[in-house]
Amino acid sequence: MAKLSRRQFLKAACLAGTSALVGACSDATRRLIPYVIPPEDILPGDATWYATTCRECPAGCGMLAKNCDGRVIKVEGNPLHPVNTGKLCARGQASVQGIYNPDRYRGPMVRGGDGKLSVISWESAEKVLSDRLSAFGSNGRREKVVFLTDLRTGAERDLIGRWLAASGSTQHVMYEPFAYEALRKANQTVFGTDAIPTYYIDKADFLLSFGANFLETWVSNVQFARQFAFFHAPKEGKKNAFVYVGPRLSMTAANADQWIMVPPGGESVVALGLLRLMLNQGPETGDRGPANNNPASALTADERAALKASVAPFTPDAVKRATGVKPDLLAALAGQLARAQRPLILAEGLGYQDPKAYETAVAANMLCSFFPGNLQTTDFSSPSSLSDVVKADRMKALADAMLSGEVHVLVIDRANPVFNLPVSWQFEKALRTVPMVVSFSSYPDETGEFAHLVLPTNTFLESWGDYSPRRGVHGLLQPVMGPLFETRQLGDILLSTGRKVKPEAFPEKDLYEVLRKAWSKKAKEAGAAAPSEAFWQESLQKGGVWAALKEERPARPRATTDSLIFSRPEASAASQSEGLAKGLGFIAYPTIQFFDGRMANRPFLQEMPDPVTQITWAGWVEINPETARRLNIEKGDMLTVRAEQGMVKGAAFPYFRIAPDTLAMPMGHGHSAFGRYTQSETTNPLHLASGRIDSAGGVIWPAATVAVEKEGRVVPIANTDGSAFQHGRDLVRSISLQQYRSTMAAVPEVTLPLPQGWDKRIDYYPPHQHIDYRWVMIVDLDRCIGCGACVIGCYAENNVGVVGRREVERGRHMAWLNIQRYFEADQPSIRFLPMLCQHCDEAPCESVCPVFGPQHNAEGINNQVYNRCIGTRFCSQNCPYKVRRFNWFTWKHDRPLQWQLNPDVTVRGKGVMEKCSFCIQRINAARIQARSENRLIRDGEFSPACVQTCPADALIFGNLLDAQSRVSKLIKQARAYQVLHELNTKPGVIYLKKITQVLT
Amino acid sequence: MSGAMSKEEGLRFSEVNQEILRTLQAPGRSYWALLSLLFLFVLFAGGVWGYQLRYGLGVAGYHPAGMWGVYLVNFVFWIGIAHSGTLISAILYLFRARWRTGISRAAEAMTIFAVMIAGLFPAFIHLGRPWVFYWIIPYPNQRFLWPDFQSPLMFDVLAVTTYFTVSLLFWYTGLVPDLAAARDRAQGLRRKLYGLFAMGWSGTDRQWHHYGASYLLLAGLATPLVISVHSVVSWDFALAIIPGYHSTIFPPYFVAGAIHSGLAMVLTLLIPLRKIFHFEKIITLDTLEKVAKTTILMGLIVGYAYAVECFIAWYSGNIFEKQSFLFRAFGYYAPLFWIMCFCNAIAPLAFFWRKVRRNIYCLFVIAILINIGMYVERFVIICGSMSHDFVPHAWGIYWPNWVDITITIGSFCLFLFLFMLFAKFLPSVAMAEVKEDAGPPLRRGGVYAR
Repeated sequence: MAKLSRRQFLKAACLAGTSALVGACSDATRRLIPYVIPPEDILPGDATWYATTCRECPAGCGMLAKNCDGRVIKVEGNPLHPVNTGKLCARGQASVQGIYNPDRYRGPMVRGGDGKLSVISWESAEKVLSDRLSAFGSNGRREKVVFLTDLRTGAERDLIGRWLAASGSTQHVMYEPFAYEALRKANQTVFGTDAIPTYYIDKADFLLSFGANFLETWVSNVQFARQFAFFHAPKEGKKNAFVYVGPRLSMTAANADQWIMVPPGGESVVALGLLRLMLNQGPETGDRGPANNNPASALTADERAALKASVAPFTPDAVKRATGVKPDLLAALAGQLARAQRPLILAEGLGYQDPKAYETAVAANMLCSFFPGNLQTTDFSSPSSLSDVVKADRMKALADAMLSGEVHVLVIDRANPVFNLPVSWQFEKALRTVPMVVSFSSYPDETGEFAHLVLPTNTFLESWGDYSPRRGVHGLLQPVMGPLFETRQLGDILLSTGRKVKPEAFPEKDLYEVLRKAWSKKAKEAGAAAPSEAFWQESLQKGGVWAALKEERPARPRATTDSLIFSRPEASAASQSEGLAKGLGFIAYPTIQFFDGRMANRPFLQEMPDPVTQITWAGWVEINPETARRLNIEKGDMLTVRAEQGMVKGAAFPYFRIAPDTLAMPMGHGHSAFGRYTQSETTNPLHLASGRIDSAGGVIWPAATVAVEKEGRVVPIANTDGSAFQHGRDLVRSISLQQYRSTMAAVPEVTLPLPQGWDKRIDYYPPHQHIDYRWVMIVDLDRCIGCGACVIGCYAENNVGVVGRREVERGRHMAWLNIQRYFEADQPSIRFLPMLCQHCDEAPCESVCPVFGPQHNAEGINNQVYNRCIGTRFCSQNCPYKVRRFNWFTWKHDRPLQWQLNPDVTVRGKGVMEKCSFCIQRINAARIQARSENRLIRDGEFSPACVQTCPADALIFGNLLDAQSRVSKLIKQARAYQVLHELNTKPGVIYLKKITQVLT
Repeated sequence: MSGAMSKEEGLRFSEVNQEILRTLQAPGRSYWALLSLLFLFVLFAGGVWGYQLRYGLGVAGYHPAGMWGVYLVNFVFWIGIAHSGTLISAILYLFRARWRTGISRAAEAMTIFAVMIAGLFPAFIHLGRPWVFYWIIPYPNQRFLWPDFQSPLMFDVLAVTTYFTVSLLFWYTGLVPDLAAARDRAQGLRRKLYGLFAMGWSGTDRQWHHYGASYLLLAGLATPLVISVHSVVSWDFALAIIPGYHSTIFPPYFVAGAIHSGLAMVLTLLIPLRKIFHFEKIITLDTLEKVAKTTILMGLIVGYAYAVECFIAWYSGNIFEKQSFLFRAFGYYAPLFWIMCFCNAIAPLAFFWRKVRRNIYCLFVIAILINIGMYVERFVIICGSMSHDFVPHAWGIYWPNWVDITITIGSFCLFLFLFMLFAKFLPSVAMAEVKEDAGPPLRRGGVYAR
């Protein structure tokens, strides 16, 4: 070693020291600037919850959004909101991926001559718009500006109206692809009101649905799911029945006690056949006419006779010929209906699955009107705001007007008619003829492709606003975080551009002021005692204002039978057999994940398996297996489906529960310009819409019969289920209603995950001793509707990685909680099994890990220690439930989606095993809170993310060591059982058997 | 004397050293060509492994619920190969089976290399986070964390490490006199290297005494390891609850299977070696015939185990067991199952015929078949059982992809590479033992004059 002088040593030491210092400061540290003066409301690591309203669909559920460190990371339902009472569906849970969507417009853009967008400033963008609008005002020509939006209410709608008026227009077109035109017309015909009422399924005692998928997308799915859970729960040994009539077993139909399969168009035939049976029964059953004090109906004798005459052709034999429904089944249905006091008969009212949706809806309404109890289940005094949207014929008129050059400026916000409207209406071509198309949307989409100017607005989580889903309920929106990008609130843009056109019409500074003004008016209307500011603050905290439910409903116009003409069943049968000769029937159905397609750009929802087909990413074409066999089609064959309007492509998926000779495609796939997550080979099934408009003003489906041909290649389908059957393994169990009644006092076959569950004869190691808590979860299979909200809630809460289509094909789906679907031979012919880590008291995974990765903690949770895992994967091999997920790669989060990640939960890297932790971060937070108050955690004080959002209350979580907790009581129910109980794993997740019943 | 000599007469005492050390001369071009080819492929496989390290295990063919794939099949396969080497060198030594002397060195070398390669898989290639593989070793650490000794994988670590250590010592001990012989005939660098490893052996009585005692001791230590190590490896599966894994017959089944595949590998390696090096007089046909006879026994045990599994699947009445077995026999992996049955249980029965077991080509072909069959058996057990276990929703079919296959072939190349190096740089026959077995150096008569 060379001699080191003191000078050299000091030099070296300094250099080493400083380089160590510099090296220690990572790039990230330089960007983290701690608050010198912290902003109000923000405590680092502590979350603030803001009440707002979900705008992912017209249901308008109340929402509580969690803001942590300035970012919104999780949303939950607002327990005070009357629509959803504290729960959100999968779409609501995925709204956090809307604000952070990587494909969002980041700022105003203008489209150049070459068709490409280039960035401009807000001032210039607004100037372009306001200049154009000013031109109109001065010219005095009216009706040149059209504002196309989705359903808006309240202050925002008023502001849009004012803005249009400033340019001399009144054309605010509120377009919803699901406008339920047939239902509205039927309500007008039978009940005299062109509106969609509020339905109360929980008040009914018998539910019959003609294609109305009320647990998925129909009108307000979370509200109905909540009501349905109450409706369908066993009460004192009795269980209300739910029957579904439709061409395919949808998720809603899967929850029916009986699914009656009819070919597309057969719903109305069955409904009218039922109507005929009810009319022909005596006044004791059937129509409780005026003699029996039925204020709901009060048909005169003449009207009754006329109605009887119109439905006379629908004899049980005719119904059988047309639909295949046997006469005894129809009779049983009529009998069940007759015995009910408050039956509720729902009809979808949309033409996508039923070409005679209007007739079905009329029949359903007539049937409802026979029962006085209907006044409790159908409330027209609080109509849904969906009653205000335009009907499809208005959109056709708009397209025609655009084509003929009448529209000069088209302004669009959150509407995508190019995707949703029939191709034959040429909306795309019409867009091209409009001289100026402005898009306010946050995301690029098919319609926005034709916008000349893009002025992106904030997503709803960044905006002020209000939304009223039905009369009497006024939800408020408030920004949960500041705008992420260079976007603005729609109201602010309207005000600033409106001011340039007609300054005196827009005195308010911004949307907030508009909202405050509207709200103080509301305060006066509500007769609020408190001053306006206090009322505002209270409404903001609560999430809105809603009148208390009045128990008595006002009288409703009586039913009429004027001008009721129904198409004859033979005609249906004829078209049916014609169909068979020519080709196949085709329906497109809305999906719970994507609604009408608007949610397709959320990776969580793309990765969420469809409840009945378990397919993720990319669309599919459902085909009955017999039909598939006949046409030599196998799973994965790429099909081309042709109709006169065009063709669509999709991979074949033989599906056991669809009517023969019928094809079905889910809506929501086939986007051509909706971002990176929507790219697939499947094309949009809505392109096969016939383009005809029915008598109610709605789009008619299905297309005239279609022809299908194989392209000759096979594409892999990314479905998550390895097998669709239980193979006799009795994993998801059910009992009939009779069995349930007779065994209600029986002791369930459950091995308690407690020291009491230990048996010296079969257990080798001593039992675990738990301290204060033993967390368990009860899964009520009778309540679970299979909606998947819990799955998405878990994804959002626990930073679960989205793996993409290719990896799902290889079985590497990361869902900690998955809703398994098994087909059964008997009714109901699908069962859902939510499967998550069972937190076994004698977990097979714990003893096989060489490094103590999975650990049983003192509260009964099976902890997975990510830092310790070396990735031998023996734990997953040994888990009989296969709920452990391995990180095969480090899953990427496209920026800025990584902002959604929950800081309380580790983000796992590659090589590490993960699984459900019962939301240990929430348990810890609750325990710390309780300990600081010197007490134990109370039952129901907190819940894991899945339990929190389940709309059907199918998941119950609690402490088994607390004898008063709900779980301690439920675990004693005779229905309780454990999956794979014979393996002696002593699971901490106990299932309650589904209760089945059939029509008698 | 040189020149024509009948096969039965064998080598004479004076010729043994010369004949065997002749193989250590400079190799021909084909040797170097093959060696470099193997080395290049090993490098390529190493690169693929690096790719897997960088991106994650997802690049391999894993298809959950099958979380274990070809890497663990390789692990079990290579450990199995290792066992028969020890059987031949240690167990047969204790039984005083004289016919083992010709093949014991090569068999033991095969064991060493196989264990080394087997060890690569669970530690570095199969783990999700191989850079912390050492957490499985009970070393003092500041977190005071022990590994979990309840886990079968821990038993594996201990068993395989012990086995490797003992085998290495055993092999090395046996090599010392032969290295000395090689040292005596070498020059320059070679002499220095052989001398270093010969540790100054000079052939004194005392040294021979120590040699004999330690060789016997190590043989005694290695013998129970043959049974225990593969039993431990079988418990990786038998201690799991999955139908198809959870079976008490696994330890004897696996041990027999290991010896079965190992003997087949011995045949596969030594038949070409014998041909290339002209060791026909040392590794006689009688030796090979005895190996073949042992193979019949092992094949019968393995066949019995197959039958027992089938019987238990039915007898248990357990729906999971039954369906798992039916899947194994008639499901997606059924062709593999039947190949396995044929190659492992049926093909060795041909050795009942003397003509077959004395024919070099038949021996080689059937050995290859058994190797394939045993590899497939591990695949059927490890991967096949997992694709069809308790919860039908989780079923999935696993098939190795290019990463799996490259690394597997890489392991075979590495094995051959090491073996070729061994064959050229170390005496591949135990000269001391061969001479020990020979009679005193008479004018007429060879090695097996007695």
